Amino acid sequence: MSVVEFEVAGKKYLAKTDVRYTKTDEWAKKEDNKVREGITDYAQKELKDIVGIELPEVGAEVKKGEVIGALESVKATADLYAAVSGKVVEVNERLLEEPELLNKDPYGEGWILVIEMADPKEFDELLTPEAYVEMHKKAGH
Amino acid sequence: MCAEHKVIKTLLWDFHVKELNASMGEFGGWEVPMIYTGIMKEHMIVRTDCGIFDVSHMGRIKVTGPDVIPFLQKIYTKDISKTKDYWMSGPTLALNEHARVKDDEMPYKISDEEWLIIANAPYREKMLKHYDKVIKENGFKVKVEDLTFKLAMIAVQGPKTVEVFEKMGAGWVDDLHTLQFRMNEEIVGKKVFLISRSGWTGEDGFEIWAEPKAMVEIYRALLKAGAKPVGTVCRDTLRIEMGFVLGGHEYEEDPTKFPPANSLRYGMGAIDWDKHGFIGEEALRAYRREGVRWIRVGIRMRKKHARAILRFGYPLYIEDQYAGWVTSGTYSPYLKRSVGQAYIDARYAIFGDFVEVEIRGKRYEGRILDFPLIPGRPVVK
Repeated sequence: MSVVEFEVAGKKYLAKTDVRYTKTDEWAKKEDNKVREGITDYAQKELKDIVGIELPEVGAEVKKGEVIGALESVKATADLYAAVSGKVVEVNERLLEEPELLNKDPYGEGWILVIEMADPKEFDELLTPEAYVEMHKKAGH
Repeated sequence: MCAEHKVIKTLLWDFHVKELNASMGEFGGWEVPMIYTGIMKEHMIVRTDCGIFDVSHMGRIKVTGPDVIPFLQKIYTKDISKTKDYWMSGPTLALNEHARVKDDEMPYKISDEEWLIIANAPYREKMLKHYDKVIKENGFKVKVEDLTFKLAMIAVQGPKTVEVFEKMGAGWVDDLHTLQFRMNEEIVGKKVFLISRSGWTGEDGFEIWAEPKAMVEIYRALLKAGAKPVGTVCRDTLRIEMGFVLGGHEYEEDPTKFPPANSLRYGMGAIDWDKHGFIGEEALRAYRREGVRWIRVGIRMRKKHARAILRFGYPLYIEDQYAGWVTSGTYSPYLKRSVGQAYIDARYAIFGDFVEVEIRGKRYEGRILDFPLIPGRPVVK
């Protein structure tokens, strides 16, 4: 479980090397035919204090790239996107009472949901850690 | 030639960025410290400890001359003639002809012919133009001087504030009553242009005006005495709890988008109905006579919706009837509950009863409450 640190516009962020990424700053970890999803260190640092989360329903059918929930920070609401298509089989209800976990431990205890993949090929389409870091470095923020 | 969007750095910018590790951001045309250690953490520092805000972005304006009092009486809804020397009048509203609020401001009386005004940062330039126009149109003998770029301003707020000042050898601040101020005092050997017992958090505290170099030393001394830096973001969460209003949310000049000042229910004696001749009076009295469609209320969400955050524009419903809209919302770490402010149809404004807020297509219940939303405040000394 290795971590890589990258810097953009003078700020430092962490990315894990054993997961894949979406263009919308979610991380996705393959667990057999399932994918565990959360938000990245970059996302939580941009949002700052996360005070609430809207989770999808267990059993919901989701499509890759679809808005499936929302993160409430003090200043704004951010959409949560599905990394892959499939069925939501688990959600982290602990986040409803302790949304701070999304800031404190976004890759660990701050995991958000688990999707049972409809098409395992979609996982390979996600960004590699290198591509994710490159995306932010290119954007300059 | 199009106007360039220039952002002004707070006078204490270097100090915040280099020494205090602040996360900076834009507010009202200024680059200000937004967060130091965390929004919720800073919010609780102000409610339980002592926090220091840099509020140098607010407008600090001096008005002098034989006609200052008639001038202020003309622009404000409050009767400021009874204000005593070295006291603030209390907050008041400057209206436009449609009885919409141009700005909510605080006048300070030094003497009959010398007053200071605090204006909100986003409206400072607009108000300076407004003052000039009113002075010209009425032939008032009044001189206006903008002190905003000469003096920095900080607000030290929280229940432990007096202790902090005592540790600094400035325990005399406790002699001030709320809204009272002094000029040309010294704190840690540095000259203080003005110190008032006031603030916008509902807690006990003081606001200090001083030249930037002196202010940095005073700030350092405050930190040493136990005060902690707190940012502009938590200023918003604190004022929502208190029921204080923010331009752009609870009020603005556009009569097609915002209700009249009557609906605002500003409180704090900001409107004196016995006073006549102020700008916007005709419209204000007409609305009072006819009755208003909307009134501003507080909303505290149900426990099961403790983290359903309210945002400007979210619609309200009662029995499926559209009943108004949210103007501000946040999570209150003090109440551990989502709270907000809203305009509700006056016919449905039953305090203590429930209203539904629609958030992303779903409806969540909250209770209609008056302000403040937290107990024991405002603290008045």
